[in-house]
Parts: sequence; C-alpha cells; structure tokens
Amino acid sequence: MRDMLRMIVVLSMLCGLSGFALSYLKMITAPRIEEQVLANVQGPAIKRVFPYAENDPIGERRRFEADGRSFIVFPVRSGGALVGVALEHGSKGYGGDVNIMVGFNIADDTLAGIGATTLKETPGLGMRIAEPAFTGQFPGQKAPVGLSSGGGVIDGVSGATISSAGAVGAVNNAAAVYARLKKDILAAWAQ
Amino acid sequence: MEIFQLFIAAVFVNNIVLAQYLGNCPYLGCSKERGVALGMGGAVIFVIVVSTFFTWIMQKCVLDPLGLGYLQTIVFIVVIAALVQFVEMFLKKMLPPLYAALGIFLPLITTNCAVMGVAILVQREEYDLLTSVLYGLASSMGFTLALLLMAGIRERLDTCRLPKAMAGTPIALIMAGLMSLAFMGFKGMAN
Amino acid sequence: MSVLKEFTKGLWKELPPFRLVLGLCPTLAVTNSAENGLGMGAAVVFVLTLSNMIISMVRHIIPAKVRIACFIVIAASLVVAVELLMQAYAYPLYQRLGIFVPLIVVNCIILGRAEAFAAKNGVAASAADGLGMGLGFTMSLTFLGSIREILGNGTWFGMAVMPEGYEPLRIMVQAPGAFICLGLILAGMNMLAFRQARRKGEQAEALARQQQGCGACGGCAACGAGARDAQAQ
Repeated sequence: MRDMLRMIVVLSMLCGLSGFALSYLKMITAPRIEEQVLANVQGPAIKRVFPYAENDPIGERRRFEADGRSFIVFPVRSGGALVGVALEHGSKGYGGDVNIMVGFNIADDTLAGIGATTLKETPGLGMRIAEPAFTGQFPGQKAPVGLSSGGGVIDGVSGATISSAGAVGAVNNAAAVYARLKKDILAAWAQ
Repeated sequence: MEIFQLFIAAVFVNNIVLAQYLGNCPYLGCSKERGVALGMGGAVIFVIVVSTFFTWIMQKCVLDPLGLGYLQTIVFIVVIAALVQFVEMFLKKMLPPLYAALGIFLPLITTNCAVMGVAILVQREEYDLLTSVLYGLASSMGFTLALLLMAGIRERLDTCRLPKAMAGTPIALIMAGLMSLAFMGFKGMAN
Repeated sequence: MSVLKEFTKGLWKELPPFRLVLGLCPTLAVTNSAENGLGMGAAVVFVLTLSNMIISMVRHIIPAKVRIACFIVIAASLVVAVELLMQAYAYPLYQRLGIFVPLIVVNCIILGRAEAFAAKNGVAASAADGLGMGLGFTMSLTFLGSIREILGNGTWFGMAVMPEGYEPLRIMVQAPGAFICLGLILAGMNMLAFRQARRKGEQAEALARQQQGCGACGGCAACGAGARDAQAQ
C-alpha cells in the first residue's frame, strides 16, 4: 500500500514538474517561434510576390480584425512609399486547406501576385498550383477572379480542378478581406 | 477506390521501413526466423491500429481544444506506453492463445518508432479518424510484409558462406538497401 | 579519471551506432546531408546528457516498479524542450528533420543508457556517459551524412567539393543508399575489430561481441525486458 502511494506521488510529481517547466519554456519561446514560422513559411512566399520589397515585411507586420478573425498584414515598401500589402487566406482544396499569400498593389488594387504557403495537394497534380505556370496568371488581375471553365480569366491546372478552385477561392477571400481593411491599412502605415 | 489507393501507397510506395526509415530496430532484430517475424508483425499491426485510434482522439479532444499541441510528444508516448501495458494485461486474461503468440513482443513495441511515427504522421497529414486508423493498418501491414520478406531471405542466408565481417547486421542492412531499391520500383503507382 | 573513461568510451570503444547498434532509425533517416546529421546529433546530445543527469539525480527516489515510466516522462519532457528550442532558434533544421525530432524519445539510445547506466551511477559519471555517447552519435551521424552528401549530391555542408564533371549518385541520398552505406560501415567496423583482436589474440571475445551486435535491438530489448519485469512485480 505504501509502495503504491509512493509510486503515485513520485509519478505525479514528476509529471507536474515537467508540465510546469515546459509551459514556462513554451511561454518564453512562443514569440520567437511565431517569428521563425513567419520567416520560414510566409517569408519566402512574400518574397516571391514582392521581389522588389526594400523593407522587412515580417518585422513591420500588423494584425487587423475582419469578419471576427484576425489577419496579419505585411506591408511592402519601395522607395520609402507603401506600394503593396500581402495577406494570407485559405480555402478548401483537394487534400485540405489551400493557403495562399496574396499581394495587392496599393495604387490600383490589382493583384501583385500570389504564393502558396501551406498545401497538402496531390504531388505532381494539385501541387502544381504552386508553380509559376499557374501563379503567373494572377499579377495585374482585378479580384474577384474566376477559372476559365466558369468564364473567368484563370486557366486551372488540368486534372486538378478542385485544387485550382481552392487557390482561386483563397485569392478571392483574401481580396474580400483586403477591400474591407484597405482604409485601416492605409491609415496604419501612412506616416 | 481511395482506400485502395491509400493501402497501395502505404504498403508499397511509402513502405514504413523501406521508404520512411521507421521501425528499423525490430526490422533488423526480429527478422531471423519467419515465425518470430510473423509474431512481431502481428503485434505491431495490433498496437499501431489501437494506438493510432487513441492518440487521434487524445489529440483532437484534449490537446487541440486546450491549446496544448506542443505537449504532443510527451502525451503520445505516455498513451502508447500505457496502452501497450493494457493490451498485454488484457490479452493475458482474455485471449491466452493470442497472448502466447504475441506476448513476448509487446513490451518491445513501446520503443518501436513505427508506432509513435504513425501516430505523429497522421496528425501532420491531418487525416480524419477513419483514414488515420486505415493508414495505421496499412502501414503496419507494410511493416509486416517487409519483415517477412527479410526473414525469408535471412533464413536462406544462414546456409551461405559469408565473409566474417559481413555476417549479421551489416549484410542485413545491405539487403534492406536492395529491398528498398526494389520497392522504389512501385513509385508512381499511387501517392 | 573514471569520469574521463566514461566520457571517452562513447567516442570509440562503444561508439553508437557503429559499435553499439542502437538508434538506427534517425541514423538512416536524417543523414542525407552532413548538416542534418550534425543537427540531429546535437539534439540527441542535449537530451541524452540531461536525461542521464536527471535520472541519476532522482534514481534513489524512483520506485523500481515505475522506473521505466519515469524515464519515459523525463526523456519526453526533454524532447519537447528540444522541439521548442529548435523551433525558436533553428526552424529550417526543425522542418528538415521533421518527425524525427519528436521521435528522439523512442530512440533506443536514450532509454538504453538510462536503464544501463544512469540508473546505477552517480551524476558526474552519468553526465560524462551521456555526453560521450551523444558526441559519439553526433560524430557517426555527421560522418555518415558526409559520405552520403558527397557521393549523392557532390557537396559537403552545402559546399561543392566534387570536380566539375561529377555526376552525383542520387541513390545515396535516398533510402537504399542509407541502408547500404550503413551496412558497409558496420562491416568495416567489424573488420577493424577483428584485426585488433587478432593482434591481441582475443578472437573469441571479439566474436562474442560481434554476435551481440547482431541483435540490433539489444538496447530496446533491455528496455522491453525492464518494462516486463517492472510489470511482473
């Protein structure tokens, strides 16, 4: 009986201690982890959309509220002026959510480009929505965009209609958020 | 059809031992005789299916709602270790013949990285519960297949004359390499 | 003096995973480049040294029946700590190593050393053992990673080292290359052991050790057996 008690006490103390230590470690590393995830997952996508960015979009990011959700918006400057913003949105694809970083030109609200961040589509098929042949069709377009099979201007990846529609959906979602937030965005970064 | 594809992919294309490098210790340690290999394979199938089920529920019903995703590793290993003990006790009491066949392999399974590996993989792939369990079943069958093939070869190998330095683990590893090469031929059949 | 001995044995005499065949999965999986091997090794050094120290510190408090459970909790906590630290300070490496970071917890080397050494020895000796074994593991992984990267990709730590016209043997950075390369290294280690033994006239002992090496899951078996008798009591 005493043995049993000792076993339980030791085990639960051990679990408690490690739980406490880990939650503390989690607390102090959380901001850095967020930064790292942004730099390594979202960062390359932003760079692809805005290769001419002269600032650090991730360092200058801000959160905005829209539709009861918060979105992170990344500002892009060139020659000191705010030329564009990027924000990420998702939509249902074939293998899960299709998350796309969408860039907008501030001057005329056209799309500056898109870059996939996290995809779980079929390799060699749905995954091709991340390739330039597909993403290259977006710059210069005005949202909302549509697939050519539905009368729009974007040619989907053949054999991957659902993935293509997911990408287009994500772009349109992002555009809707951008339209709603544009005033706040301009106010936030206007010096 | 999709389930069939999932099976083909998990057993042949992405074989858990030969393509994903999981569960190598038992693959080399328990492949000296076919009987032993079959026993180990059976035990692994059983434990992987059960543990995938429970860890999935744990993740979705406890860790995710509480925002404790970072404790995944510690929770999964504790669940698996406890589960293996329960399975052992249960089999001993309820199904002595099965226990006689699988019993001695069960304690070895806690440290079999295939079990933990599958549990984590289905979370990273974001499968639903049914797909997860089926994926667990398929990949553990792939493990058993690889184990049985290896045991068959090694039984023959006993009658061959080998350079002394090659006998045992080295030749087993080289054969595993050749087998993995052969399994690469399945690439492209399913993803 | 003896602390030094515990430290150095992991570097050659019981060098894992080449001499002491433990922890094969990460050895095979992450050594497609020297850098990945080194990163994995560093994570293992951290976990192994600390887990050995902590286990040695609490070895008198832990009841024998639940010691394996305690070891697992300690090792798993340290692995979670490594995961968090890697995400914060080495995110690209964390992405490349993938599920093999959390899988350090089931690496036989951690529980194997806990059961075989730390549970029976003092803190300093256990720390030395863990550090030595961990560094040995790192060396081995970096070595294997270097060979595979140089042959399979023509680079070493990302720098081109092969002459211009070299056609990389792609297979070396894929699964078959991992198995075959490790097999050849183990055979080489055996040959060395035999040569040494012949010089000393200790053939019998070397043979015995080699037989032992076959049970690739020797360490796992130890843990397994531990769990078994813990439960039987």
